[in-house]
Amino acid sequence: MENLESSLAELLEVDSVNEADQLEQFEAWDSLTSLSIIAFIDENYKVQVSAKELLDAKTIGGLKKLITEKTAR
Amino acid sequence: MPQTHPFDLTGKRFLVTGAASGIGKATAIALSALGAELILWDINEAALKATASSCMKAVHTLAIDLKNTPGIRETLLNAAAEYGPVNGLVHAAGIPYISPLKSLSENKYMEVLQINTIAALELAKAFNQKKVSGGANGSIVFISSVYALVGSAANTAYAMSKAALHGITKSLAIELSPKNIRVNCVAPGFVKTTMKANTDQLFNEERDELLESLHPLGLGAPEDVAYACAYLLSDAAKWITGSIMNVDGGFTAK
Repeated sequence: MENLESSLAELLEVDSVNEADQLEQFEAWDSLTSLSIIAFIDENYKVQVSAKELLDAKTIGGLKKLITEKTAR
Repeated sequence: MPQTHPFDLTGKRFLVTGAASGIGKATAIALSALGAELILWDINEAALKATASSCMKAVHTLAIDLKNTPGIRETLLNAAAEYGPVNGLVHAAGIPYISPLKSLSENKYMEVLQINTIAALELAKAFNQKKVSGGANGSIVFISSVYALVGSAANTAYAMSKAALHGITKSLAIELSPKNIRVNCVAPGFVKTTMKANTDQLFNEERDELLESLHPLGLGAPEDVAYACAYLLSDAAKWITGSIMNVDGGFTAK
């Protein structure tokens, strides 16, 4: 999941991210960035995350948890 | 059997790829209703059989992965040897790829190109062989998209794969015209298919309203595109080659 954090940082256009960071607080957060994260997760973790699930995850930590739950299924 | 009407497809045999769902399925059913014998390909064998059971005429189905580029020509050659030469084909198989530039993956966009574009080229190459087309005459129809004609964010790879089909269409139309093999492309707007349903979850609910508003006639049905393909395959379109037919509810008229 360390790779995940650095990839999310790249997609969110920041140097690093923390678990508590709110997704919507990132300056680069918009519909295209949200699509980028969905496409990235689909490609790298082979799970589909919907726009709503991504929004509901709220934080970087929440997103990691969502991916962990989905990949475990 | 003499052909009584230029739209009639009786006595003709066509290949339709992507025939298990959406535009491919609707095309298979439409061609069959017009009297054609069909060779149907898709990766989804169970759904392909369901399409076949909706067809009125003889149908030969085959589960095939179009990512296997070298296998395409051989498979079509084998089909023509077994069932007889084909009069034309519709390449309706295609996969979407919604990704902004920063998350574009090479693996994924190469896969999109392989299925949407390279397979089209390989099919044309196979069709150009006498053993497949029976010599001269024939009609090839590709399916592109309004996104080959207009821009849209997060659609770059898909647009690339579909716009390339327009180049292939026009070049092959010229190259194959001495054999009277016609090559055309249908550029559909948004059609209510499983492909669209699969991408819907990536967006919020406002997207559907937006998509609807882009089409003066509303979203399309797979049949709307299928009938255009049937026309281009038929003798009624014998003077049409190298054309890109917009079937998009007015999307690109604006």
